[in-house]
Amino acid sequence: MTMVAIEKKPQKGSEHFQCEDQFSGGVAFCAGCALELNARFVARIMGEKTILVGTPSCSAPVLNGQNTAAWHKMGHYACTMTGVASSATGITRYYQRAGIEGNVVCFTGDGCASDIGFQTMSGAAERNEKMIYICYDNEGYMNTGIQRSSATPFGASTSTTPSGAVSQGKTTGSKNLPMIMSMHDVAYVATATLSHLDDYAEKLAKAKEKAKEGFVYLHVFCPCLVGWKFNMDLSIQVCRAAVRTNYFPLWESENGQYRITQKVAKPKPIEELTGLLGKFKHLSEDNVKSLQAKVDKRFKTLDVLCKGSSYPG
Amino acid sequence: MNAPIAKSTKVITGNAAAAYAAMLCRPDVVSAYPITPQSELVEQLAKFHADGVLDCEYVTVEGENSAQNVVCGASMAGARAFTATSSYGLVYMYDAMFNTAGYRAPVVMVNVNREPPGIHAVCSGQQDMISVRDTGWVQLIASNCQEILDLTIQAFRLAEDYDIQLPVIVNYDGYYLSFLAEAVNIPADNEVDGFLKVLETQPERPKLTPGQAQGCGSHGIGLGYVELRRKHMDAMERVKAKVDDIDTEFAKAFGRSYGGQVEEYKTEDAEIVLVTSGSAAGTARAVVDAKREAGMKVGLVRLRLYRPFPVQRLAECLKGKKAIGVLDRSIAFGWNCGPLYQEVKAITPEIGIVPMLSFIDGLANMDITKEHIGSMIDNIQSAARGESYEEVTWLP
Repeated sequence: MTMVAIEKKPQKGSEHFQCEDQFSGGVAFCAGCALELNARFVARIMGEKTILVGTPSCSAPVLNGQNTAAWHKMGHYACTMTGVASSATGITRYYQRAGIEGNVVCFTGDGCASDIGFQTMSGAAERNEKMIYICYDNEGYMNTGIQRSSATPFGASTSTTPSGAVSQGKTTGSKNLPMIMSMHDVAYVATATLSHLDDYAEKLAKAKEKAKEGFVYLHVFCPCLVGWKFNMDLSIQVCRAAVRTNYFPLWESENGQYRITQKVAKPKPIEELTGLLGKFKHLSEDNVKSLQAKVDKRFKTLDVLCKGSSYPG
Repeated sequence: MNAPIAKSTKVITGNAAAAYAAMLCRPDVVSAYPITPQSELVEQLAKFHADGVLDCEYVTVEGENSAQNVVCGASMAGARAFTATSSYGLVYMYDAMFNTAGYRAPVVMVNVNREPPGIHAVCSGQQDMISVRDTGWVQLIASNCQEILDLTIQAFRLAEDYDIQLPVIVNYDGYYLSFLAEAVNIPADNEVDGFLKVLETQPERPKLTPGQAQGCGSHGIGLGYVELRRKHMDAMERVKAKVDDIDTEFAKAFGRSYGGQVEEYKTEDAEIVLVTSGSAAGTARAVVDAKREAGMKVGLVRLRLYRPFPVQRLAECLKGKKAIGVLDRSIAFGWNCGPLYQEVKAITPEIGIVPMLSFIDGLANMDITKEHIGSMIDNIQSAARGESYEEVTWLP
């Protein structure tokens, strides 16, 4: 394994930011990629005693040892996109049996989680396996050339749902994956994004604890500057816009109870997000209204669930 | 810890024999999805587990693909892992099977042979095992219920051997063996422990452990990939002699030997030979005896090892024979013959050119009868006499 010096500089921010970075410097992500921050942040809080389970994807070269060298200190297990949660099941079950301590963390994109790896993830959730599944949602297959997934939003232009003379991009909305996972009655589900790192850090720390009880699912909004067509300095701004427009509300759920963790007092119109992204550039006014309606409807469902909840703690 | 299991003789099905064998080998993780005609096996293991007789992690997955990934992941983490499937279930594991073999995870899997095409083809046939030929797994074939138990125990001994470290499939015919009840000698748990103890004296294989900067699952590209494939191939070649050795070890421990890679029956002075595998071999023995009484010098070779293919052992068995027939329970598209026949024919340079005949029988639970085998042997005999013959015959 190739190992470059690990950065140990303490950083400002919450106590979670003080944990050791598990990665080497200068890893092979695109400049400005939100996924790099995501991966580093997850690893920082999970710590060295972690097995990352992943698949061919943007994260594979760095996380799962493409060309047999990974760029971090954690253990890693790579498998096909169909086998992430099931492989992790085998690993975590044996660790429990043998009394081996460590975090078993699936780290995949939305294509794996919402499409081809969904069945096996749903199975692991139903069995309430003691593991953490982190889906970094870049709303499609960004690594293989920006194709649509079932997490791609309405109207997005992708290489398999391109906008054109008679096409306005994807015709249906995205699968509400975190909500679906919460309906599995698992130990803990939360959404997070990179503009709200304190919120994310608390959820990761909670995930670590809750995974001792059962299945944990974290859905992380993780924009792709190449696939979504925005400048490399805008990643965090895109995340923030997604939260402020209620496009991607930050919430958590345990024991069938729901809670919004970052309340948005006056949600901004969806144009504040779509205006930043080239993949929505072609949308007509009507298209934008449709997208806004989908956002509002989805948020309302969440809001109803939250209002009916008595959240623990 | 499993509840103690005493030595006994029980009339049990092939599926139950496999379940007893798996339990006796003390797996850490069992994961499987039910499919006819394998279901009884996983139900039996679930019952053992529920009754506290079998102590393991029993993972009831939502499909075979997950079952295969569970046992591969568990095995890479350090577990002794077992799964079982059949037909479409095996095919549904296909992508993951490349990983299990490529990662050199010593998993043991039972495959209860069943036809794959057609959702109502719930009947015996070996097409499933043929279809996963090149995934890099070792494949063994049992011929009766006792051998199912014995071979499953031997499969753990083989898979986890430090020189091998490959996953192993134990195949047996669906219906003809899965549901056939026979008297089976079930060894005591400490006897099986003793047989597998040698594994503990070998160096420990690498295990994926938290806190250690190690990983698995990437073959890389270029020369790194080539190196791993070559090492995999070399290990596969070592399996041949190891299967013979384990058969001998097993005979010493339990008093039963099956001949290793192949079982020969009356081949020594035989002029013609029928090659087959699985439950059909039992019927074929009876026919060979009858033909011998009628003065025909016929022998039988039963394949027990399908991957790696026992090229050298087969060549020894078949060299000098006047004609050879191969009975297949599956078909090889593109070659218009049976797949085992195709492979036996590839040994021609080792044994010289003699008439070779392919018989396709027993597809989809069509009984391979004594009459069928009798006519096969008659055909081989007339070909040996120099008469004209059909290379490929479909029965019935």
